[in-house]
Amino acid sequence: MSRPLVAILAAAAIVGFGPALQPAPARADEAVAFVGATVYPVSSDPIPDGAVLIRDGRILAVGPRDQVELPEDVRVHELGGRVIIPGLVDTHSHIALSGRPLVAANRGTTEATDPVTPEMRAIDGIWPGDPAIRMAVAGGVTTANIMPGSGNVVSGQTAYLKLRGSSVDEMLIKGAGGRPLPGGMKMANGENPKRSYGSRKKAPMTRMAIAELERQLFVDALEYRAKQERYLDQIARGDETSRPAVDLGLAPMLEVLEGRRIVHHHTHRADDIRTVLRIQQEFGHRVVIQHGTEAYKLADELARRGVPVSAIVLDAPGGKHEAIELDYRGPAILERAGVSVALHTDDYITDSRLFLRSGGLAIRGGMSEAGALRALTLTGAEMLDLADRLGSLEPGKDADLVVLSGEPFAVRTHVLETWIDGEKQFDRSDPEARLYQTGGFQVSDRYPRGVVP
Amino acid sequence: MRFVACALGAGLVLLALPGSAVAQPPIAIEAETLYTSGPQGTLSNGVVLVRDGRISLVGPAAEVEIPDDALVYRAKVVTPGLIDAQSTVGLSGLYNVPADQDHDEKSGPLQAGLRVIDGFNPEEPLLRWLLAHGVTAVQVSPGEANPVAGQAGVFKTWAPPGSGVSEFELRFPSALVFNLGETPKSTYAEARRAPTTRMGTAALIRGALTEAGEYMGKRSAASRAGSKRGGEGAQPPERSLANDAFALVLTREIPALFVARREDDLETALRLGEEFGLELQLADATEGYLLADRIARAGVPVLAGPVMERVGRLETMNASFENAAILAAAGVPVLFRSGFESYVPKVRVVLFEAAIAAANGFGFDEALDALTSRAARVLGVGDRIGSLEPGKDADLVLFDGDPFEYRSRVEHVLVGGELAYSHERPRTR
Repeated sequence: MSRPLVAILAAAAIVGFGPALQPAPARADEAVAFVGATVYPVSSDPIPDGAVLIRDGRILAVGPRDQVELPEDVRVHELGGRVIIPGLVDTHSHIALSGRPLVAANRGTTEATDPVTPEMRAIDGIWPGDPAIRMAVAGGVTTANIMPGSGNVVSGQTAYLKLRGSSVDEMLIKGAGGRPLPGGMKMANGENPKRSYGSRKKAPMTRMAIAELERQLFVDALEYRAKQERYLDQIARGDETSRPAVDLGLAPMLEVLEGRRIVHHHTHRADDIRTVLRIQQEFGHRVVIQHGTEAYKLADELARRGVPVSAIVLDAPGGKHEAIELDYRGPAILERAGVSVALHTDDYITDSRLFLRSGGLAIRGGMSEAGALRALTLTGAEMLDLADRLGSLEPGKDADLVVLSGEPFAVRTHVLETWIDGEKQFDRSDPEARLYQTGGFQVSDRYPRGVVP
Repeated sequence: MRFVACALGAGLVLLALPGSAVAQPPIAIEAETLYTSGPQGTLSNGVVLVRDGRISLVGPAAEVEIPDDALVYRAKVVTPGLIDAQSTVGLSGLYNVPADQDHDEKSGPLQAGLRVIDGFNPEEPLLRWLLAHGVTAVQVSPGEANPVAGQAGVFKTWAPPGSGVSEFELRFPSALVFNLGETPKSTYAEARRAPTTRMGTAALIRGALTEAGEYMGKRSAASRAGSKRGGEGAQPPERSLANDAFALVLTREIPALFVARREDDLETALRLGEEFGLELQLADATEGYLLADRIARAGVPVLAGPVMERVGRLETMNASFENAAILAAAGVPVLFRSGFESYVPKVRVVLFEAAIAAANGFGFDEALDALTSRAARVLGVGDRIGSLEPGKDADLVLFDGDPFEYRSRVEHVLVGGELAYSHERPRTR
């Protein structure tokens, strides 16, 4: 076989699994007006018979239909009886790092050979062709914090991604000058690191050792920073000096110390959460409590200290010790105490297609409906430092939105369309795309269509 | 207006505490919407009267006289207690440590002699979690590791404190459980012991059923000979508890419940069922929608789900939320099971499973039937539970809204006429 042909076939094989199957996007420079729907901007009250106007990937206007002026060349998307919410922001997901199917060949969440690996970068393991990405988009997720796993005490640099595009470079959220924003830093305490290394008789085998390893990394980072500062001083003074060696693990920890990179800390039990807070107090970094199964037990303390919680909502407790005190009322208790609460999927632990359901179950536990919708959008964006661009429908923000068939937390509601940066990335009326929402995309040619309208 | 159950009179409240052994006054449950899952269908403003743990009367509020001394509950929506068609709950515990995992006897692939009744833990906290979601009965089943897993039984999720396993039991054995697909062949792979392939799994099952057939033949030959010649002649085979269990499925006294996910595994189950004349049931049936007509023609019920099963393992890659709807449209009776969860969450809740199916083409009525009357009928406990009819156990769930909405809450659950769970005093651990 000739080389070019092999290349073409290989390219087809790659594309065949992913973006090429997606519906042709509307032109980004075209103005699109979504009108007639009930619009939940999240940053303000719901608007019955509202309108959202977008162009060039940004939101231009949001308001009651009769108050939004539409340009001449606008394409009008009539959505009477439907609902529009901002694109969902998932603060904790593992899709694309551990691709589906979850066979060994596709698994790659944790580099479990060393408990402290801040040098690992999620971007080096992202598989843009993972069907789980399309499933998540079919569930209304538009932005996700893709995290290395919790088997390590420090497992690496997370990636804040838009769920569109065919390469990780396209997916990464960019800041000024088109440079990718730093993601977060994933850390974990409790059972998982203990289990991962204890079973091999290596540290950490205890919670004490987990805390020691984490603390030591911060101390090392401070020393590294001091060394760098000394070097810069010496240069400024014109002293003869040599540059300190680059440390790929400590470099991102400097961003953590500066508050530019947020620590996303897997932690469940109340005492483990308190350990996270203790270390945070020592080093002053910014931290998000991830999972926080027992966070409700120290809601007032978290509120007082202004530490946010990204909570997981599960069907049932158990499966591991640190998850047995799961309580549906947890997010509600945190909300009432004044803690900033987001929700997340931890996909593959829960399914991104059912992310809205997590909000529904939080409401079952007493959370306000407005709080639950915020927890899936704007509050999550805040925890990723992206609230200036994402999480609500406001002029100037990214045109990430979801069209629903009905009210956000009704079981019968389906995601009908998902738009990211002004382009439609999911459409339930497309029979191929629909199978990423219902399941069955691998047997698309044989799927019994039309049985369910 | 928000309805909460109210007890008339402080003394009666005390009597209604879970676990009270004192003789119960009659109980009346008033529902804005009463789903009986029985001959009376759905009643708006319906009433259920309960005496001595059983339903004594069901009817419209206008026609039912509530006794003066009755303890009255009111709720927006009332359904029969919900039934989980197959789960390892009670065997596979909350903590997920060896000390509380008793679902898989991994010492050998053929475990027909195992009886869940010998491992069911009535104190299991996950039973109370299910109860808090309205699940009052579960077909408890051994796990998924072995080609022949053992004998399942149907149990309540609650009985008054002090009760033993027998008070929880509704029916035992209710089925002999078989597993096909990925799990059995991976369980013994490391030990390089059969089965390590799907063929191996099927061969072990076929071999065991064949041997049991021989055993039964010898047994009946011996018994014929014995009755003819006053106890002399053909010797009965050595008694085998495993073969006794296989005999129950070969004589169709209990169903053969096959857990299978991939289309070809489902076909293997149908093939084995036909070969040995089994009363077949299919569990999970992830790809059932690809052969819905064949399953329907075979007249086999499907214990579906979980629909929230992760699309992830090779054999669950094609899981579809529409599976139940497509199977039902072909005429297959569908139930829901929570199955087995190896990690977090440790159990699924059939109320949520059915809700997802209902929202994906299965519909509300089908979903409720699947969790109540149909489940009771298929599991062979329809004389006791599954509908609100006079004479049946007073197992009821009181909701504050649509049972399948995530935002609705279970306010009270009555089991055998006793308050087993109350939203006001949740005790799920």
